[in-house]
Amino acid sequence: MKLNFLVTTVALLVAFPPPYECRAIESSSNQPAADPDGERQAPPVLARLGEEYFIRLGNRDQNPLRSPADSFPETSQYSKRALQLQLTQRLLEGKVGNIGRLDGNYALRALDSVERERRSEEPPISLDLTFHLLREVLEMARAEQMAQQAHSNRKMMEIFGK
Amino acid sequence: MSGTSRAQLCFLLLSVTALRGHARFLDIQQDNEISPEGLLSLLSSELKRELPEEFVYSRALRCLDMVAVEGQFTFTAERPQLNCAVFFIGEPSDIISVEYDSVNIDCRGGDFIKVFDGWVMKGEKFPSTQDHPLPLYKRYSDYCDTGVTRPIVRSSQNVAMLFFRLHQSGSSFTVTFRKLINPFPCNVVSQTPEGSFTMIIPQQHRNCSFSIIYPVEIQIGELNLGQHNDLKRSILGCPGSGDFVELLGGNGMDTSKMYPMADLCYSFNGPAQMKVGCDNTVVRMVSSGKFINRVSFQYRLLGHQELQQMKGNSIEDVCLRA
Repeated sequence: MKLNFLVTTVALLVAFPPPYECRAIESSSNQPAADPDGERQAPPVLARLGEEYFIRLGNRDQNPLRSPADSFPETSQYSKRALQLQLTQRLLEGKVGNIGRLDGNYALRALDSVERERRSEEPPISLDLTFHLLREVLEMARAEQMAQQAHSNRKMMEIFGK
Repeated sequence: MSGTSRAQLCFLLLSVTALRGHARFLDIQQDNEISPEGLLSLLSSELKRELPEEFVYSRALRCLDMVAVEGQFTFTAERPQLNCAVFFIGEPSDIISVEYDSVNIDCRGGDFIKVFDGWVMKGEKFPSTQDHPLPLYKRYSDYCDTGVTRPIVRSSQNVAMLFFRLHQSGSSFTVTFRKLINPFPCNVVSQTPEGSFTMIIPQQHRNCSFSIIYPVEIQIGELNLGQHNDLKRSILGCPGSGDFVELLGGNGMDTSKMYPMADLCYSFNGPAQMKVGCDNTVVRMVSSGKFINRVSFQYRLLGHQELQQMKGNSIEDVCLRA
């Protein structure tokens, strides 16, 4: 009953956003990755509730009001973590959804006005992104860096070993 | 030209090029003679120390991407891509260099590629406008305006961003991302949720921020603010003092919009720690320029349990409230 009411409220808020500009609380919550159904190609849904923004990746059973200052996953959740990174990678490659499409209001800000104005007058470009997603891409970049470092170390050992 | 004067000229040329930070070496061919071609190669802008092509890391760029490794990155638009951004990040003591290698876009058709000196998210910039040496409009560098004449863009800190929009499928561009050494890093975004850092501001009138985009516990090991520990500071408090360190917490990138968690305006040795349960934790040093200021700190990620405990203990949590 409560959940139905909540879902209806969310749907209404998403459909009719208030006209003022909201600031976001970034949810570092990781529950979107917790469900194995994430493997199917459901587009991410940007849900807005009051002043909280987060991305839900297909699991509607989770409580959307969990604290935004929530966890970075414990090391015991390796498999969930790997799934999450995989989902993020898919997202980035555009298979799950275009990051610009996720979010009509929160994509590059001032984009509409950019198209009307000349380039020299356009307002500074920005990107709307949650800290959670930023940390995900940062982790992927770090993994890439470490793999590349290992690769170049191996190459150097081969060269010096000759 | 005699051998001695040739050697002196070589030394002079080497010194001049060394001042630019680019190293050169002479190819000595036969009989230990320095040939005219070898001399002229010193003046060439091509850096002979570049690795051969097969050793340069390269991959395709994504519409939303983060790059932490040097190399060559190519983006090819398979369909119109209107909202794309790439984050660059290096080690704390690096600055970023972005070089346009080949660009195939339609500037007149509304395509653009812009490099931003810093990171910007939801309109909030790191470093903030108070902490960055350049005004905001100078921090954006548009390829369509200046890219051909100035193909290399350098950042002022260890982070930079690339924004681009390509309307036509088939448009593409390639950039080379390099990291250069910065001996006195000022504004830094940490790549990791755990680590340590020593920030030194050597008699410069500037403000420097170290940003950790995780909730962390900060342990300050040593704080050295100038030479005086006089009574004036205790009367005026930290803002009255020209040199102090503040711990900030918040949910955005802009340090000027974050909440002060602690102020430190006395030098001390010995650990002082604080847990900051915000999405972004910043150690910021304000320096008047009269002294050499130094702060050393460590940080570690706060676990889920700790965050829950903090939430339970505090009556109001400024980060949650934001």
